[in-house]
Amino acid sequence: MNAPSWTTVLFWFFAAGGVITGYRVFRADSMVRAAFFLLASFAATGGLLVLLGAEFLGMVLILMMAGEMLVMAIIMVMYMMNPAGLNPMFMVHQHRTSVIAAVASFLALAVLPFVITLPARANPRPVAATAQLGTELLGDSMLVFQTAGVTLLATIVGTVALTSRRGRYGDAEEGSKEPPLEEEAMESP
Amino acid sequence: MNGYASAGVAVVLTGVALAVGIYLVAIGDRLLASLVGGGGIGWRTAVVRPAQRATLLLLQQRLTTEPSDAPGWALAPAFFLALAAVALAMVPVARGRAAADPATGFVVFSAAIALVMIAVFLHGWSPDAALPLHGAYRYGAQALSFQIPFLLAMLAAALPAQSLSIVDIVAAQDTVWNVIRTPLGLPLFLIVGASVSSWGPVNLADAADIAGGTSAEDSGVGRLLWQTARYGMLVAVAAMGGALFLGGWWGPLLPGPFWVILKTVVLLLAFLAAGHLLARVRTETFVVVSWAVLIPLALVNIFFTGAFLL
Repeated sequence: MNAPSWTTVLFWFFAAGGVITGYRVFRADSMVRAAFFLLASFAATGGLLVLLGAEFLGMVLILMMAGEMLVMAIIMVMYMMNPAGLNPMFMVHQHRTSVIAAVASFLALAVLPFVITLPARANPRPVAATAQLGTELLGDSMLVFQTAGVTLLATIVGTVALTSRRGRYGDAEEGSKEPPLEEEAMESP
Repeated sequence: MNGYASAGVAVVLTGVALAVGIYLVAIGDRLLASLVGGGGIGWRTAVVRPAQRATLLLLQQRLTTEPSDAPGWALAPAFFLALAAVALAMVPVARGRAAADPATGFVVFSAAIALVMIAVFLHGWSPDAALPLHGAYRYGAQALSFQIPFLLAMLAAALPAQSLSIVDIVAAQDTVWNVIRTPLGLPLFLIVGASVSSWGPVNLADAADIAGGTSAEDSGVGRLLWQTARYGMLVAVAAMGGALFLGGWWGPLLPGPFWVILKTVVLLLAFLAAGHLLARVRTETFVVVSWAVLIPLALVNIFFTGAFLL
């Protein structure tokens, strides 16, 4: 029996790690732990992408997810009913629906390996994947990505415009104005 | 020119460089503190004191808070130190040589810097105490604000090389250093570098006004590891600043590794001096300046670099 190559060892490390941490996301009893387990799962997926030769995509996935997961953890803690999200909680609700959804999506994904044609080589040849990706993004697919980018930017601007109208010191259009020092007569509620 | 040193060489090289750098930072910090603040400790004291302090912390009892998240608390310093090692491994040490030079070294380094926010947040969150949590949220605001100007500043340094490999980026500075081609890049990089190490004027997460912030509840080996990781990150950032903006191994007469070390030490001295001379900024100021001033400046910087190259 041949000793397994480093690639094989790393593949199983990342594959098993991704599944286990993904499972732990739903067993965690705290929003922050769940978010960080999800980050670990994404990092393992990034490792798999690097093994596939898509170095840039794998590393960018890890780079982007660091910030995303922190934002997600903070915002979810903000929405928690218990103080500061520090009390234990359950990640899974509507158990029967979740089981059906999980089985259905697993079957849908499990069909894929049987219906696509897999490449003959197990290990991809080293290619200039980053350069190819750049050519694709700024070449044939430019319109798609630029449209998506502008749409997302418009969404961000729209969200900020809708939510930040009323600030602590008055309406946003009037500019921020500090409250006067002398006490004003309170209006009746 | 992309490749990796053999695993053993890379680990030993990075580990030794990190350990020596961390100890030098500890010595330099004490010397500068006595230079600026008086109290005149000599060279010998400055050299021996960090070892004494480390031994004391190793022997000290490790106190915990009652409802702490123990695995997260133990993991955070180790994760932080590992990120510093990954960042340092990307720095070219001699002509065309680095412990690891993947084709996307630029992205690997940026990912290490981005993941620091997870380490710091975990470190502040897991003790389940008010002051560490305060520090963690501060760092969240700080890290999310500097992320975009940081990436833009790094991008301007990669433009002349037309490559994401750090060795290629240094190799492209043979005639003129990036500090001239992208003049705003180095200051932006240094601000971010001090931020990820919670250092000096931009130390918001571990600041004195919240009694040490995320490390307020640390004691014993946990405190030792966290401070070590902070120093290690400072070393990694200074070394990378020398490579990205000050021409890395390029320099007259002397061999490449000498110039790499000299540039790292110069940037480290700048960090240490800033730590003792400049006042700490407020979180609100940092966030507003990052979004409203640093992002436009970083964009101007990219345009300047583009114009220089054309």
